Amino acid sequence: MEHPILFISIILEKLGLPVPHTVTGSNLIEQLCTPYMTYTWLVMAFLIIIPKLTMSKLEMVPGSGQNFWEVMIGGLMDFFTENLGESGAKMLFPMMATFFFYIVLANMIGLIPGFMSPTSNLNITLGMTIIVWFTHHFLGFKHHGLHYYKHFMGPSKAMAPFMFVLEIISNLARLISLSMRLFGNIFAKEVLLAVLFMLAGAYFAPLPILCLGVLVSIIQAVVFVLLAVLYCAGAMEEAH
Amino acid sequence: MSDERREMFRQLAEYSQVGMTFVFSILVGFGIGWFLDNKVFHGKITPYLTFIFLGVGIVAGFRTLWELTRKISDGK
Repeated sequence: MEHPILFISIILEKLGLPVPHTVTGSNLIEQLCTPYMTYTWLVMAFLIIIPKLTMSKLEMVPGSGQNFWEVMIGGLMDFFTENLGESGAKMLFPMMATFFFYIVLANMIGLIPGFMSPTSNLNITLGMTIIVWFTHHFLGFKHHGLHYYKHFMGPSKAMAPFMFVLEIISNLARLISLSMRLFGNIFAKEVLLAVLFMLAGAYFAPLPILCLGVLVSIIQAVVFVLLAVLYCAGAMEEAH
Repeated sequence: MSDERREMFRQLAEYSQVGMTFVFSILVGFGIGWFLDNKVFHGKITPYLTFIFLGVGIVAGFRTLWELTRKISDGK
Protein backbone atom coordinates (compact mmCIF):
# COMPACT_ATOMS: atom_id res chain seq x y z
CA MET A 1 0.00 0.00 0.00
CA GLU A 2 1.64 3.20 -1.15
CA HIS A 3 0.96 6.07 1.16
CA PRO A 4 -0.39 9.20 -0.49
CA ILE A 5 2.05 11.72 1.00
CA LEU A 6 4.98 11.03 3.30
CA PHE A 7 6.76 14.26 4.01
CA ILE A 8 10.09 12.76 5.10
CA SER A 9 10.26 10.77 1.86
CA ILE A 10 9.54 13.92 -0.11
CA ILE A 11 12.30 15.80 1.72
CA LEU A 12 14.74 12.94 1.14
CA GLU A 13 13.83 12.82 -2.54
CA LYS A 14 14.42 16.56 -2.81
CA LEU A 15 17.84 15.98 -1.24
CA GLY A 16 18.58 13.49 -4.00
CA LEU A 17 18.51 10.35 -1.89
CA PRO A 18 16.93 7.25 -3.43
CA VAL A 19 13.59 6.51 -1.74
CA PRO A 20 12.33 3.08 -2.78
CA HIS A 21 8.73 2.73 -3.90
CA THR A 22 8.55 -0.90 -2.82
CA VAL A 23 8.37 -2.13 0.77
CA THR A 24 12.14 -2.59 1.08
CA GLY A 25 14.96 -1.20 -1.01
CA SER A 26 17.50 -3.17 -3.00
CA ASN A 27 20.75 -1.77 -1.60
CA LEU A 28 21.85 -0.40 1.75
CA ILE A 29 21.23 3.29 1.13
CA GLU A 30 17.77 2.54 -0.25
CA GLN A 31 16.99 0.35 2.72
CA LEU A 32 17.99 3.15 5.06
CA CYS A 33 15.66 5.54 3.21
CA THR A 34 12.55 3.35 3.32
CA PRO A 35 9.67 5.16 5.02
CA TYR A 36 9.46 2.85 7.99
CA MET A 37 13.15 3.42 8.76
CA THR A 38 12.97 7.19 8.45
CA TYR A 39 9.83 7.37 10.56
CA THR A 40 11.42 5.12 13.16
CA TRP A 41 14.23 7.63 13.40
CA LEU A 42 11.70 10.42 13.71
CA VAL A 43 10.05 8.61 16.63
CA MET A 44 13.46 7.95 18.19
CA ALA A 45 14.47 11.60 17.83
CA PHE A 46 11.18 12.67 19.36
CA LEU A 47 11.61 10.29 22.28
CA ILE A 48 15.15 11.52 22.89
CA ILE A 49 14.56 15.25 22.46
CA ILE A 50 11.18 15.77 24.18
CA PRO A 51 12.14 14.18 27.53
CA LYS A 52 15.39 16.16 27.41
CA LEU A 53 13.41 19.38 26.97
CA THR A 54 10.75 18.63 29.58
CA MET A 55 12.96 17.02 32.20
CA SER A 56 16.28 18.83 31.80
CA LYS A 57 16.12 20.02 35.39
CA LEU A 58 14.09 18.09 37.91
CA GLU A 59 12.22 20.14 40.46
CA MET A 60 10.65 19.36 43.81
CA VAL A 61 7.35 20.84 42.66
CA PRO A 62 6.99 19.41 39.16
CA GLY A 63 5.78 21.46 36.24
CA SER A 64 3.39 20.06 33.67
CA GLY A 65 6.13 18.36 31.62
CA GLN A 66 7.81 16.63 34.53
CA ASN A 67 4.42 15.75 35.98
CA PHE A 68 3.41 13.90 32.84
CA TRP A 69 6.55 11.78 32.82
CA GLU A 70 6.29 11.09 36.55
CA VAL A 71 2.75 9.77 36.10
CA MET A 72 3.73 7.63 33.12
CA ILE A 73 6.90 6.21 34.66
CA GLY A 74 5.22 5.67 38.03
CA GLY A 75 2.27 3.88 36.46
CA LEU A 76 4.50 1.64 34.37
CA MET A 77 6.72 0.86 37.35
CA ASP A 78 3.71 -0.19 39.46
CA PHE A 79 2.48 -2.29 36.61
CA PHE A 80 5.81 -4.12 36.21
CA THR A 81 6.28 -4.55 39.95
CA GLU A 82 2.93 -6.31 40.15
CA ASN A 83 3.96 -8.90 37.56
CA LEU A 84 7.72 -9.24 38.01
CA GLY A 85 8.41 -8.36 41.62
CA GLU A 86 10.57 -5.49 42.84
CA SER A 87 13.97 -6.58 41.53
CA GLY A 88 12.70 -7.98 38.24
CA ALA A 89 10.79 -4.80 37.54
CA LYS A 90 13.87 -2.68 38.18
CA MET A 91 15.96 -4.90 35.92
CA LEU A 92 13.51 -4.97 33.01
CA PHE A 93 12.11 -1.46 33.37
CA PRO A 94 14.42 0.31 30.87
CA MET A 95 13.70 -2.16 28.09
CA MET A 96 9.97 -2.56 28.63
CA ALA A 97 9.31 1.14 29.17
CA THR A 98 11.25 1.92 26.00
CA PHE A 99 9.14 -0.58 24.10
CA PHE A 100 5.97 0.95 25.52
CA PHE A 101 6.80 4.54 24.65
CA TYR A 102 8.18 3.60 21.27
CA ILE A 103 5.15 1.52 20.31
CA VAL A 104 2.61 4.05 21.54
CA LEU A 105 4.28 6.86 19.65
CA ALA A 106 4.93 4.77 16.56
CA ASN A 107 1.27 3.69 16.47
CA MET A 108 -0.09 7.16 17.11
CA ILE A 109 2.10 8.95 14.59
CA GLY A 110 0.28 7.19 11.75
CA LEU A 111 -2.93 9.03 12.62
CA ILE A 112 -1.46 12.34 11.45
CA PRO A 113 -1.62 12.94 7.69
CA GLY A 114 1.85 12.91 6.15
CA PHE A 115 3.17 10.39 8.66
CA MET A 116 3.11 6.63 8.74
CA SER A 117 3.34 4.11 11.56
CA PRO A 118 6.70 2.31 11.54
CA THR A 119 4.93 -0.54 13.34
CA SER A 120 2.80 -1.15 10.24
CA ASN A 121 5.86 -2.92 8.81
CA LEU A 122 6.55 -6.49 9.87
CA ASN A 123 10.32 -5.88 10.04
CA ILE A 124 9.94 -3.52 12.98
CA THR A 125 7.50 -5.63 14.99
CA LEU A 126 9.39 -8.85 14.29
CA GLY A 127 12.62 -7.16 15.36
CA MET A 128 11.08 -6.13 18.67
CA THR A 129 9.54 -9.55 19.18
CA ILE A 130 12.87 -11.30 18.57
CA ILE A 131 14.45 -9.09 21.22
CA VAL A 132 11.70 -10.01 23.68
CA TRP A 133 11.92 -13.69 22.79
CA PHE A 134 15.66 -13.94 23.29
CA THR A 135 15.47 -11.85 26.44
CA HIS A 136 12.93 -14.09 28.13
CA HIS A 137 14.89 -17.23 27.32
CA PHE A 138 18.10 -15.56 28.46
CA LEU A 139 16.42 -14.60 31.73
CA GLY A 140 15.22 -18.18 32.12
CA PHE A 141 18.75 -19.53 31.71
CA LYS A 142 20.13 -16.83 33.99
CA HIS A 143 17.69 -17.62 36.80
CA HIS A 144 17.59 -21.41 36.59
CA GLY A 145 20.87 -22.26 34.94
CA LEU A 146 20.63 -25.40 32.85
CA HIS A 147 17.60 -26.53 34.88
CA TYR A 148 15.61 -24.16 32.70
CA TYR A 149 14.93 -27.13 30.43
CA LYS A 150 12.42 -28.36 33.04
CA HIS A 151 10.11 -25.58 31.89
CA PHE A 152 9.77 -27.42 28.61
CA MET A 153 9.23 -30.89 29.99
CA GLY A 154 5.74 -30.72 31.44
CA PRO A 155 4.60 -32.31 34.70
CA SER A 156 5.08 -36.03 34.01
CA LYS A 157 8.33 -37.80 33.12
CA ALA A 158 6.82 -40.25 30.62
CA MET A 159 5.41 -37.49 28.43
CA ALA A 160 8.56 -35.34 28.59
CA PRO A 161 9.99 -35.80 25.06
CA PHE A 162 6.60 -35.23 23.48
CA MET A 163 5.96 -32.19 25.66
CA PHE A 164 9.35 -30.83 24.68
CA VAL A 165 8.36 -30.77 21.00
CA LEU A 166 5.00 -29.19 21.84
CA GLU A 167 6.65 -26.52 23.96
CA ILE A 168 9.15 -25.68 21.22
CA ILE A 169 6.32 -25.27 18.73
CA SER A 170 4.18 -23.13 21.00
CA ASN A 171 7.26 -21.04 21.83
CA LEU A 172 7.92 -20.39 18.16
CA ALA A 173 4.22 -19.64 17.70
CA ARG A 174 4.59 -17.01 20.41
CA LEU A 175 7.29 -15.34 18.34
CA ILE A 176 5.02 -15.11 15.32
CA SER A 177 1.75 -14.29 17.04
CA LEU A 178 3.20 -11.44 19.09
CA SER A 179 4.73 -9.74 16.07
CA MET A 180 1.82 -10.50 13.72
CA ARG A 181 -0.81 -9.10 16.06
CA LEU A 182 0.87 -5.73 16.44
CA PHE A 183 1.71 -5.58 12.74
CA GLY A 184 -1.76 -6.70 11.65
CA ASN A 185 -3.66 -4.25 13.82
CA ILE A 186 -1.60 -1.24 12.89
CA PHE A 187 -1.37 -2.16 9.21
CA ALA A 188 -5.15 -2.60 9.08
CA LYS A 189 -5.59 0.81 10.67
CA GLU A 190 -3.22 2.42 8.17
CA VAL A 191 -4.82 0.80 5.12
CA LEU A 192 -8.33 1.55 6.30
CA LEU A 193 -7.46 5.18 6.90
CA ALA A 194 -5.80 5.51 3.51
CA VAL A 195 -8.72 3.90 1.68
CA LEU A 196 -11.38 5.92 3.50
CA PHE A 197 -9.40 9.08 2.94
CA MET A 198 -9.23 8.44 -0.79
CA LEU A 199 -12.89 7.43 -1.07
CA ALA A 200 -14.63 10.06 1.02
CA GLY A 201 -11.99 12.19 2.70
CA ALA A 202 -13.97 15.36 2.05
CA TYR A 203 -16.92 14.06 4.09
CA PHE A 204 -14.86 13.20 7.19
CA ALA A 205 -15.31 9.47 6.58
CA PRO A 206 -12.01 8.53 8.29
CA LEU A 207 -13.05 10.33 11.48
CA PRO A 208 -14.57 7.33 13.33
CA ILE A 209 -11.58 5.19 12.33
CA LEU A 210 -9.26 7.89 13.64
CA CYS A 211 -10.99 7.64 17.02
CA LEU A 212 -10.72 3.86 16.95
CA GLY A 213 -7.10 4.25 15.84
CA VAL A 214 -6.23 6.06 19.06
CA LEU A 215 -7.82 3.24 21.04
CA VAL A 216 -6.10 0.50 19.01
CA SER A 217 -2.73 2.24 19.28
CA ILE A 218 -2.84 2.36 23.07
CA ILE A 219 -4.32 -1.10 23.52
CA GLN A 220 -1.82 -2.76 21.21
CA ALA A 221 1.11 -1.07 22.95
CA VAL A 222 -0.17 -2.12 26.37
CA VAL A 223 -0.84 -5.66 25.18
CA PHE A 224 2.60 -6.03 23.59
CA VAL A 225 4.42 -4.84 26.70
CA LEU A 226 2.13 -6.85 28.97
CA LEU A 227 2.73 -10.07 27.08
CA ALA A 228 6.47 -9.42 27.02
CA VAL A 229 6.37 -8.95 30.79
CA LEU A 230 4.25 -12.08 31.28
CA TYR A 231 6.69 -14.13 29.18
CA CYS A 232 9.63 -12.86 31.22
CA ALA A 233 7.76 -13.56 34.46
CA GLY A 234 6.91 -17.05 33.20
CA ALA A 235 10.54 -17.76 32.36
CA MET A 236 11.72 -16.61 35.78
CA GLU A 237 9.19 -18.48 37.93
CA GLU A 238 9.71 -22.06 39.08
CA ALA A 239 8.89 -24.91 36.72
CA HIS A 240 5.63 -26.75 37.39
CA MET B 1 -4.68 3.00 36.25
CA SER B 2 -7.25 1.55 38.60
CA ASP B 3 -7.08 -2.12 39.61
CA GLU B 4 -10.14 -3.03 37.61
CA ARG B 5 -8.81 -1.53 34.44
CA ARG B 6 -5.42 -3.14 34.96
CA GLU B 7 -7.09 -6.51 35.37
CA MET B 8 -9.10 -5.84 32.22
CA PHE B 9 -5.95 -5.11 30.22
CA ARG B 10 -4.26 -8.24 31.54
CA GLN B 11 -7.18 -10.41 30.53
CA LEU B 12 -7.42 -8.64 27.19
CA ALA B 13 -3.77 -9.43 26.51
CA GLU B 14 -4.04 -13.06 27.53
CA TYR B 15 -7.26 -13.89 25.76
CA SER B 16 -6.54 -11.96 22.60
CA GLN B 17 -3.36 -13.98 22.33
CA VAL B 18 -5.14 -17.34 22.52
CA GLY B 19 -6.60 -17.41 19.04
CA MET B 20 -3.42 -16.22 17.40
CA THR B 21 -1.23 -18.68 19.29
CA PHE B 22 -3.61 -21.50 18.38
CA VAL B 23 -3.44 -20.70 14.67
CA PHE B 24 0.28 -20.05 14.56
CA SER B 25 1.07 -23.24 16.50
CA ILE B 26 -0.56 -25.18 13.69
CA LEU B 27 1.26 -23.16 11.06
CA VAL B 28 4.63 -23.50 12.80
CA GLY B 29 4.12 -27.25 13.15
CA PHE B 30 3.24 -27.55 9.49
CA GLY B 31 6.18 -25.32 8.56
CA ILE B 32 8.68 -27.43 10.51
CA GLY B 33 7.34 -30.60 8.91
CA TRP B 34 7.44 -29.08 5.44
CA PHE B 35 10.98 -27.82 5.99
CA LEU B 36 12.20 -31.21 7.17
CA ASP B 37 10.50 -32.97 4.28
CA ASN B 38 11.60 -30.73 1.46
CA LYS B 39 14.85 -29.13 2.59
CA VAL B 40 16.45 -31.71 4.89
CA PHE B 41 15.29 -34.99 3.33
CA HIS B 42 14.77 -33.54 -0.18
CA GLY B 43 11.34 -35.06 -0.70
CA LYS B 44 12.30 -38.70 -0.14
CA ILE B 45 9.62 -39.29 2.51
CA THR B 46 7.51 -36.37 1.43
CA PRO B 47 4.07 -36.31 2.93
CA TYR B 48 4.76 -38.15 6.18
CA LEU B 49 6.80 -35.70 8.27
CA THR B 50 4.60 -32.82 7.14
CA PHE B 51 1.50 -34.61 8.40
CA ILE B 52 3.15 -35.76 11.62
CA PHE B 53 4.32 -32.26 12.49
CA LEU B 54 0.98 -30.80 11.44
CA GLY B 55 -0.61 -33.13 13.99
CA VAL B 56 1.94 -32.09 16.60
CA GLY B 57 1.20 -28.44 15.83
CA ILE B 58 -2.53 -28.99 16.31
CA VAL B 59 -1.88 -30.73 19.63
CA ALA B 60 0.38 -27.85 20.67
CA GLY B 61 -2.40 -25.40 19.80
CA PHE B 62 -4.93 -27.29 21.88
CA ARG B 63 -2.45 -27.54 24.72
CA THR B 64 -2.20 -23.76 24.98
CA LEU B 65 -6.00 -23.64 25.20
CA TRP B 66 -5.99 -26.32 27.86
CA GLU B 67 -3.29 -24.52 29.86
CA LEU B 68 -5.39 -21.38 29.78
CA THR B 69 -8.54 -23.12 30.97
CA ARG B 70 -6.53 -24.70 33.77
CA LYS B 71 -5.19 -21.28 34.69
CA ILE B 72 -8.72 -19.86 34.83
CA SER B 73 -10.08 -22.78 36.86
CA ASP B 74 -7.22 -22.34 39.33
CA GLY B 75 -8.43 -18.78 39.73
CA LYS B 76 -5.07 -17.16 39.02
